[in-house]
Amino acid sequence: MPENLIQPSEILSRRVLAIDDEEANLLLLRSLLEREGYSDIHCVSDPAKAMQAYVDLEPDLVLLDLMMPEVDGFQLLEAFGRHDRAEEFRPVLVLTADTTLQARRRALALGAKDFVAKPFDVIEVALRISNLLETRILYERLRN
Amino acid sequence: MYNPTIRAPARFWANRSLAIKGLVVIALPLAVLLGSLLSLYLASNAEARAEDDVRRAFAIQRDTYQVHALLAEAAAGVRGYVLTGDNRFLAPFRKAQREVPSSMARLDEAIEDPIVRDHFEELRVLEAEKRTGLQQIVDVARVGNIAEANVEDALLANKLALDEVRVTIDDIQRREAVVLDERRTRVEEVRAGFLILTAVSALVGLLGSLSAVYLFSTGIVRRVRKLEGDAEALARGERLTEMPEEADEVGRLAQRLVRASALLHDREDDLRASEERFRLVIEKVRDYGIFALDPDGMVTSWNLGAERIKGWRAEDILGRHFSNFYPTETRDHLPEEMLERARENGSAEDEGWRIRKDGSRFWANVVITALRDEQGKLRGFAKVTRDMTERRRSEEALKEARKDAEAASRAKSEFLSRTSHELRTPLNAILGFGQLLEIDEDDFARNHREAIGQITKAGRHLLSLINDLLDIASIEAGSSDLTIETLDLGQLLEEAYSLGKPIVASANLNFELERAGGNIPVRGDARRVTQIILNLIGNAAKYNRDGTFVRLGCRFDGALVRVTVEDDGPGIAEAEAKRLFTPFDRLGQQDRAKIEGTGLGLALSKSLAESMDGGIGFEALAKGSRFWFSLARAAQPENSPLGRNTNDVTESSCPRT
Repeated sequence: MPENLIQPSEILSRRVLAIDDEEANLLLLRSLLEREGYSDIHCVSDPAKAMQAYVDLEPDLVLLDLMMPEVDGFQLLEAFGRHDRAEEFRPVLVLTADTTLQARRRALALGAKDFVAKPFDVIEVALRISNLLETRILYERLRN
Repeated sequence: MYNPTIRAPARFWANRSLAIKGLVVIALPLAVLLGSLLSLYLASNAEARAEDDVRRAFAIQRDTYQVHALLAEAAAGVRGYVLTGDNRFLAPFRKAQREVPSSMARLDEAIEDPIVRDHFEELRVLEAEKRTGLQQIVDVARVGNIAEANVEDALLANKLALDEVRVTIDDIQRREAVVLDERRTRVEEVRAGFLILTAVSALVGLLGSLSAVYLFSTGIVRRVRKLEGDAEALARGERLTEMPEEADEVGRLAQRLVRASALLHDREDDLRASEERFRLVIEKVRDYGIFALDPDGMVTSWNLGAERIKGWRAEDILGRHFSNFYPTETRDHLPEEMLERARENGSAEDEGWRIRKDGSRFWANVVITALRDEQGKLRGFAKVTRDMTERRRSEEALKEARKDAEAASRAKSEFLSRTSHELRTPLNAILGFGQLLEIDEDDFARNHREAIGQITKAGRHLLSLINDLLDIASIEAGSSDLTIETLDLGQLLEEAYSLGKPIVASANLNFELERAGGNIPVRGDARRVTQIILNLIGNAAKYNRDGTFVRLGCRFDGALVRVTVEDDGPGIAEAEAKRLFTPFDRLGQQDRAKIEGTGLGLALSKSLAESMDGGIGFEALAKGSRFWFSLARAAQPENSPLGRNTNDVTESSCPRT
């Protein structure tokens, strides 16, 4: 197998941070990710602690809900943007029940790399997660 | 002159044209002058002739005396010769022989009077006898044998002849004297007549000139003067009432002046009447305060509307400054500003608080217009005031209502957004876990697998219910994300056809697309148009269980295009058709219980079509149903840069209804 091909194990070993104020949804994401074979999964249900987790954990991928009390997803997207170095590719997949066009546009404009409406298709979400991680890995390889 | 009872000759004279009047005025004295000259000539001619006659009479007298003298001297000479025989005594006789015939000839020529002529004829005989007698005596004496007696007899006879001659000549002289007297008398008469004639001519000439002057005066000068007076009266704006009847130029001019005056007066009357009407109208206008200001801003006129709006009666406000209508906070500057603006720009408009006489306030719309005369001099201002208090109140109420409505709409949108989120969030967990369980269904017993299937199925149904409901609600709240643009319906139909194909195919029906390429520009939101088409196709496929096809097509309908979805299914009764587009009213629920659906599809399609300025409807076919919705036609698709004639293409590709 050629060296430059990405091994599934390499994707599955990446760190995923899920942020959602709804415990049930976090549990669903964790179940889905564990079922897919991911091992480094972190969940934050208190949005006020999300930024700290982001800084501390330096995840490879963030699954982010938009409508949350106190600190919402848009504010977090802005904070991520301010924190990350420009050349970094740290994908955020927005998962939200707010299906309006404005929300979609605003989230993507603030740096979200993908957008899936809730309720979502679990298989679709799993595929998008692995795609985004694959892109991140390719990006890292290019930079090195 | 303009007396209607004017005499006929004067009328006749007045009616003559100016050319004829001029001719008469000049010709009359001229004719009188010529007559005088002619009479003068005739008189002098007669006098000359009379004097000629006198002269001739004198010549006759002289010649007769001369004949007598010559004969007398001849007789004396002959007597001397007879007595002496001296030849020298014969000289007078010879002179008489020589000169008497010529004198007689002159007399013959000069004598005209018949009496004198008779005497002259006698004289001619006697004179000839006399001279013959004398000749005989001379002849006898010359021979020398003159008997004394014979000579004495001859001489005596001669003397008698001479006496006769004298008598005749005396007759002639007497007669000529009479004639001369007669002629002298005639000369005197002619001279006297001439004097009289001259005097008469002078008089007639004077009269002629006077009458010419009179005619000129009556015919022209006086009337021109009158005309001038009329013109002045006209200039003063007085009315000319006398209509002159003269038919000459001056008369016609005068008539035209009178007509012009009548016309002017008619117009003036009209103007006055119109001004009066206008004044009455303005005075009676109740809804607008209309009044006039002088250049300093003093009120000069007042109408009913102004009285009604401002509470001032005309007699109380006339002559007072219009700043009385302004409340204290603007009274110092605004009235002057308004006048200044009106002076500069012609008019000034303002809306603001004014006060009534009783001090109460009203919201007024005011327009001040500067009034200038033809020279541009400021004459004053017209001010129109409208009481806008009621309107302002209602406008404010409207504004308030609009604000409330907008707030309500925002709240509704917010509520929808929240509801959407709140409903979807738990569904996410339900459907997500359900799906995960389904993926791992081999791990479960059969009855659990069925339970899992029911959970996901119910969850999905709930989701589509929520989606459709929120769609309808957001469209009705006006907060849906419609992007109306010019679309090519042809292309949309093609896309919907491919998207709908598997749905129709799964119902074992033929799917037909009833059009052949080309542009059909319409206004709409592409995603929503497709959503409606798919909804209609889905319905047709779902309910057409005993038919054979579903047909998608389009028809022109005036400024709209109808998209039609037909099927040859069981159809829908006319009475039920009305309920088709009502939410949750699924027709014949008991028969169709097995058919999946939220009962919101057509209601949602209706909301969507209407939000894109179209409509939706149903028509029963002989066999089956036709559902349609309409979209507004657009002139040209925005993405058609070549601007080709899409109309031709669409006409051929999309038949008319």
